Amino acid sequence: MWYKIIEIIDWFGEMTERFKLIRDFNKAGKNAFISGIAPTLLEAKITNGDSNYRHQFSKFLGGGYRIKALSGRPLNRDEMIEIGKIILENKELVRKLIALGWDTLEVHDNSGFNGCKWPLKDYANIGGYLN
Amino acid sequence: MHLLQIAIKDTMPQSNLIEKIDAHSINIWTYIAIVEFLIIILLVIYLFYLKRRQTVSKFEKEICEAKNTDIDMDDLMLSINKSRELYKELSRKCHPDKHINSEFQKEIEVLFQEITKNKRNFQELVKLKDIAINKYNIKMN
Repeated sequence: MWYKIIEIIDWFGEMTERFKLIRDFNKAGKNAFISGIAPTLLEAKITNGDSNYRHQFSKFLGGGYRIKALSGRPLNRDEMIEIGKIILENKELVRKLIALGWDTLEVHDNSGFNGCKWPLKDYANIGGYLN
Repeated sequence: MHLLQIAIKDTMPQSNLIEKIDAHSINIWTYIAIVEFLIIILLVIYLFYLKRRQTVSKFEKEICEAKNTDIDMDDLMLSINKSRELYKELSRKCHPDKHINSEFQKEIEVLFQEITKNKRNFQELVKLKDIAINKYNIKMN
């Protein structure tokens, strides 16, 4: 029974961490846009993700971490790929994303259906667990 | 007989007092017992929790650590927006071909490799820029 209680506490802790990560990204994106560092306002949100990229920790209907350009200058393809690569090269962030149940990283423009996506499991190696 | 009656009268209020004190003390001891019982339950839960933490595997520990890592999002934003320009500047100024016959040629080659390795990490690029300016006297804009 204690295990169940601990599992429930873990689940709530995980959800809090997920929303905290999204909130921190949005806050940093907003501050960067307002202070003029970033030409485009970036927003992070949770999406369904790609079912082909699922792994052991994937959250049901919440496996996608989408970064979307909200306003300002639209992003071109190279910029979207660059943003994706910067996030994927941050190993701590990728490991955290994987551990918190995300499986797909998506970078989208503010208009249309243009976007790029990457499977996170290809860029994280948590003790060889995922490979 | 009269003396005995007086003695009984004198002892009656005292016996009532003792009963009252006893009843009150029983209540206090009951509360103390309940509190002790709760403390014991909490300690047992804590022991179970500790035992579980000891038995978790290495991978689970790594996952827990990964979950609790703090990510500096401001640094990430700077990397997204500023690292490209800084990398271009550094790679131009610290290119080994520009320092062929200088005294720091080998060190600058290593520095250039580090710059290429951290091309998308703004904080690291700033540190490398400081090294280039202070250690190798490379002029930056």
